[in-house]
Amino acid sequence: MEKMTNTDSESHKDQRRNGQGAPAGKVLAAGLAGLVVALFLNSSALLIDAERQPDGTGRSVALAVWRPIESVASSLGLTWPRATGDRLLGRSETEQVITLLLEKIQVVDVSEKDNWIVPSVQTEQEPKKLTGEERRESLEPGWDADNPFQLWILGDSMVRFFGDTLVSLAETSTRVQAISEPVLSSGLTRPDFFDWPGRLTEIMAEHDPDAVVIILGGNDAQNIRDGDGQWLERFNEAWLDEYRRRIGIVMDLVTSDAGRVLLWVAQPPMRDEGFDQRMQLLNTLYQAEAAERARVQYVDLRELFTDSSGNYSRYLPDNAGKLVDVRLTDGVHLSHWGGEWLSALLLRELRRSPNVDELWVR
Amino acid sequence: MVWRVVIFGSSLFFYGWWNWRFVILLLWAIGSNWFAGNKINSCRQLGAQDGVRAWTIIAIASDLTLLGVFKYYDFFAVELSNLLGMGNAIPILELTLPVGISFFTFQAMSYVIDLRRGVIEPMKLLDFAVYLSFFPQLVAGPIVRASEMAPQIAKRPDPRRVASAEAFHLILRGLFKKVVVSSWLASNLVDGVFADPQGHSSLDVLFGVYGYAIQIYADFSGYTDIAIGVALLLGFRFPVNFDRPYSALSLRDFWRRWHITLSSWLRDYLYIPLGGNRGQTGDMYRNLLITMLLGGLWHGSTWNFVIWGAIHGVALIIERSLPTERIHPVIRWVLTFHVVCFAWIFFRAGSVSDAGSVLSAIIGSSGDANILNAGLIVLVLASIAVQFVTKSASARMGLWMNRRSVLIQGIAFGIGLVVIDALGPEGVAPFIYFQF
Repeated sequence: MEKMTNTDSESHKDQRRNGQGAPAGKVLAAGLAGLVVALFLNSSALLIDAERQPDGTGRSVALAVWRPIESVASSLGLTWPRATGDRLLGRSETEQVITLLLEKIQVVDVSEKDNWIVPSVQTEQEPKKLTGEERRESLEPGWDADNPFQLWILGDSMVRFFGDTLVSLAETSTRVQAISEPVLSSGLTRPDFFDWPGRLTEIMAEHDPDAVVIILGGNDAQNIRDGDGQWLERFNEAWLDEYRRRIGIVMDLVTSDAGRVLLWVAQPPMRDEGFDQRMQLLNTLYQAEAAERARVQYVDLRELFTDSSGNYSRYLPDNAGKLVDVRLTDGVHLSHWGGEWLSALLLRELRRSPNVDELWVR
Repeated sequence: MVWRVVIFGSSLFFYGWWNWRFVILLLWAIGSNWFAGNKINSCRQLGAQDGVRAWTIIAIASDLTLLGVFKYYDFFAVELSNLLGMGNAIPILELTLPVGISFFTFQAMSYVIDLRRGVIEPMKLLDFAVYLSFFPQLVAGPIVRASEMAPQIAKRPDPRRVASAEAFHLILRGLFKKVVVSSWLASNLVDGVFADPQGHSSLDVLFGVYGYAIQIYADFSGYTDIAIGVALLLGFRFPVNFDRPYSALSLRDFWRRWHITLSSWLRDYLYIPLGGNRGQTGDMYRNLLITMLLGGLWHGSTWNFVIWGAIHGVALIIERSLPTERIHPVIRWVLTFHVVCFAWIFFRAGSVSDAGSVLSAIIGSSGDANILNAGLIVLVLASIAVQFVTKSASARMGLWMNRRSVLIQGIAFGIGLVVIDALGPEGVAPFIYFQF
């Protein structure tokens, strides 16, 4: 019997080596061992992911699990390989980046917005053309093909679905140059992922646009890590204050030039009720910050993208009564037609600005 | 018995985690098709052909109704409303598409049709429930036939022989394809190009299209690898779904290598019943076109998918009508790859006009954005080149795993997970085929 067992064991070993498989119990144990190794090696990244989760039981449980694991792994030096790998891949330690960028954001204080100037590092660059102020003083409304009215369309993935259309629509005038620059997954809560204030500073200094369209917020309903490295829980008072501060900074950055117009596009109604509520809350913040600034216009989209009952609808009738799908199947983004509708609305709003309407009138 | 209940329960939990309401839909598909299958079998044994036909039609109509209501109703309601100038007189349902519905309804249809043809025996209710709901392939395939799964479910998998090395290797390979290759290409090349084709140079847009061809392959075949690997850990073996599709020298060859379980389903349950290669040449071309158009529509209810199917259908017809074997293989490969890429533009673009923008940007774009870099070019070209390598680094890794003890396999699996997570960009999007 013993011999037979040994033979079976040898046979199984041989079969295993030949790809015939191993006992399920051993595979389960080996798989679990591998997962434990992975969890310890990756505990720092998993802890950061947990901290970014919205408040709730899931986040609390995740933090309760990952904090002690990360603490043990860190003290044993097990987080070192992942950290080294991240550095070799050119990914700096997240926390440092966040702190650094928040400092950069804090260059512009909302309370000092009236006195705000472009940070010195940017003003050292030679402007490529006259500043908006100088142009308006000397040439206005003399925009022409050589010195076109510049329109920049900026924001997250939403821009993908109307930016191009608005560019085409705007550039029906030869005196207009429009640029669409979507940055997917970006927003104001994660400057470590994409630094919008930094990018806006560059654009304002290098290109001096005459008008800017911004849509942000779709990726922003998440916790914020403040300058002290503390996590601000989504939508609590401290979070709302910090987020409003960031909105204000962006608005001030754009309207630092006295003649520049900013259209801040609201989040459209969303199919998912919870997501819609979160976006509508952000909209109230955008609207409130825009109301405090004369040259920032808040563009609400609820009327444009809801049905006769005021509800989200993927299909809406156009002027001719023909149903068109204005939203993508994800219930979030705009379809091609939705992009056309929004572009037409934005151009109408833009043309209400002084001297701008004539650009499209011959 | 117990292990079947555990797998079925786990599968329902897995599906219900996303949206518990749709578990009812899945249970309906299981119950209705199993019941109809039994009726078909009874009628066959009694020689009642009318009964066989009637129950087959009832089962297929039930499956198509599910698909029709959730996937196609709005599309046709809108087109009909606009055609008849009825405004919004026809109600639009705007239902959430249950994930995996296209896959499990196709599996269910294959079961009742195979019963009608007498090529399989009816399954026990619990076996059938496991077959239709089996979580590794429930949401995005592969489309496994009852004839392939029934014998495996009927006979309890041998717990002494789990193909651990192959399973760990496949799961790692699938994750690498999805998290690293697909996500990297999407976030660094493809999404940007398709978002703003006119803002990029023609070369950027061209590589964006090539990149999408690689992205969707890495994404979907990556999911399939993971599904096959997970099923292997549970003792089940799924059929191969991809076989280096971009090495194909013809469209016909491509469809033998791309999403093989769907293309063979369409061949066996649509193309051949339509008449297949029988009859006049014109009949064959018609059958090909119908099959590819419906294959396109299977992916989604938009004109883009219909055009995607039409491009493949027309290209297959042209290919069959010409003596393509006389053309040099390199030229054949170039033609095949570019027809596939041309069709992918419609598959990826948000609308037909967006696809037009991509095409016009390839021909001539005034855009000056330049996102191409050496790394991306190497990634795209290497991903195409690797399709011609029969024994790749991945296969060697599989062999390496196979020669190691189970514990080493497990540890290597764990380390592999961390490496993949570190290499992937932040924010990995869901699998592309989840939407179908």
